[in-house]
Amino acid sequence: MPDFSLTAEQESLRDLARKFARTEMAPHAAECDRSGRFPEEIYRKAYDLGLMNLNVPTEFGGSGLGVVDQCLIVEELAYACAGMTTSVIANCLALEPILLGATPEQKDRLLRPFCAQYQLASFCLTEPSGGSDAGGLKTRARRDGDHYVLDGEKCFITNAPHAALYTVFATVDPTLRHRGITAFVVPRSAEGVLPGKDEEKMGHRASSTGTVRFEGVRVPAADRLGGDGEGFALALRTLDQTRTPIGALATGIAQAALDLAAGYSLKRQTFGKAISEHQAIQIKLANMAQAVHAARLLTWHAAWTIDRGGKGTLESSIAKCFASDAALHVADEAIQTFGGYGYMKDYPVEKLLRDAKLTQIYEGANEIQRTVIARELLEHYA
Amino acid sequence: MEIVVCVKPVPDAETRLRPAPEGTTLDPEAVKFVLSGYDESAVEQALLLKESVPGSKVHVVAFGPAPRTEEVLRAAVALGCDQATWVDAGAERWADPIRAARALAPVLGGLPHDLILCGKQAGDDEGGLVAAALGELLSLPDFGAVVDLRWDPGSSRFRFQRAVETGQESWTAPAPCVVGLQQAWNDPRTAKLPAILKSRKATIARVAAAPRSASSPTVVPERFELPPPRTGAKMIDYRTPEEAAQKLVRILREEAKVFP
Repeated sequence: MPDFSLTAEQESLRDLARKFARTEMAPHAAECDRSGRFPEEIYRKAYDLGLMNLNVPTEFGGSGLGVVDQCLIVEELAYACAGMTTSVIANCLALEPILLGATPEQKDRLLRPFCAQYQLASFCLTEPSGGSDAGGLKTRARRDGDHYVLDGEKCFITNAPHAALYTVFATVDPTLRHRGITAFVVPRSAEGVLPGKDEEKMGHRASSTGTVRFEGVRVPAADRLGGDGEGFALALRTLDQTRTPIGALATGIAQAALDLAAGYSLKRQTFGKAISEHQAIQIKLANMAQAVHAARLLTWHAAWTIDRGGKGTLESSIAKCFASDAALHVADEAIQTFGGYGYMKDYPVEKLLRDAKLTQIYEGANEIQRTVIARELLEHYA
Repeated sequence: MEIVVCVKPVPDAETRLRPAPEGTTLDPEAVKFVLSGYDESAVEQALLLKESVPGSKVHVVAFGPAPRTEEVLRAAVALGCDQATWVDAGAERWADPIRAARALAPVLGGLPHDLILCGKQAGDDEGGLVAAALGELLSLPDFGAVVDLRWDPGSSRFRFQRAVETGQESWTAPAPCVVGLQQAWNDPRTAKLPAILKSRKATIARVAAAPRSASSPTVVPERFELPPPRTGAKMIDYRTPEEAAQKLVRILREEAKVFP
């Protein structure tokens, strides 16, 4: 049987993340949620402590953590604020295509200087006409000598307005569908890179989400990741690596919702006793606790599978899908436990519901996760 | 400058405590041990001095049982201490401050030291005696409740303040000396992730503690128990603040008899 206990090292990592989350993030979570402020000073501190480029090997200036370790950290951060966490871990997603697809020379040239200071990167796959149907993306990459010229628009891009580096997926030939997709590393400083405005969002309001337009951006062929047409597989392999921490992020939201609801239930009195003594609330809390526990274990299992060298497509899809559905459900039940107070913005639980919703949508909508799960599943029966 | 910091593992304030089955000590199962708060300040002060006096080294020393003592030493190494020594208490589960000082003193005496720093008291028993006892056992001047400790290279003396009831006292002291620290000149830093990972592989020197001397007076705990649960809290039901105030005044006057 696998061992579910954490090593002393993992406990120290979790403690660091917990301390940072509770002392640096939590005190600003409500304010940033209200105002939509992007608390860059907090992201800088996260970088300084080594909490930002978690998946980048230490030789390139990252923290060099496996997926289990990343998940322990991400859950703690998300417990305090899911929006800030999304912005803190966006580099992991944006840099993963470089980790998976770059040559040693490219890693040395692109990754090392990037990680040597506080900088943000954005993963640019989704377009206004579609995210899940990545094979149909429209951003063009036309070969011109030893360069490519990029034209197109990406949307819903985390940290886009603040990023110094973009990993961009574009097609060299739209008729080839997914076999035409090619990945590039594009600096913000390149001419024709035009980040758009910050979007107003329902949740994750401390994070920044925006469009990026590429207008005749000349990218050296040396900054292409892999070959022409290899971008689609690279994007999928990237998401296989980064989907599991989204399960951890959702688990963090769910745990926060459970803790708030349970704490409130012990204090709130109705009919002459604490509502925690009413069976209706007890059943609610018990179901919430089951969902949180299952979400965490599924996430750990997916992470463990990947750390052992497995592909983890099925496991990470199950973890992300289940944990994000659980987060929404648990946040919903937390609001119900708080009653009218839960619906008020003065109390912290309604934010959790708004934050949880995004986890069902980003890094592969749960409909896509279910498609993936079914496909992987049916292969066993075919 | 050779700086030695003594630290103690204490239960994390967020831990739920319970007595051990034998009833005289804390049950260490499921308790998370951390660096005592004043000791964190002492480590911070040591690191600040190290950074301000070129060529300095910080050696962290702790007396206690496995595995908690080694864990807090690693935490101190992750913060920036250069070397760590664990004075192994073996099967000894509980020690009063004088016993701790007696276990530490011979080890500290064998290490190069211009300054021996302790937190002014431990976060669990709040004994506050180790620094004074170390001064006595090592025949060094010792100072308690110290804040803002600095090295003055001109006079080759330490300068510091002591927070006393009537205000602040300014002191100087020669090296070597023993200091029980109340507060460093900065808030304790947070260990960075790479340093935490590196500290897991750091070598922690282990020395068996000298056995407790039969003639040495020592405190032996008889019972360790949790305080009785608090009772008597009364919730006031109300619809308006005025009603709440009226009910509260009535209770204070008629039941608690706080005023006539």
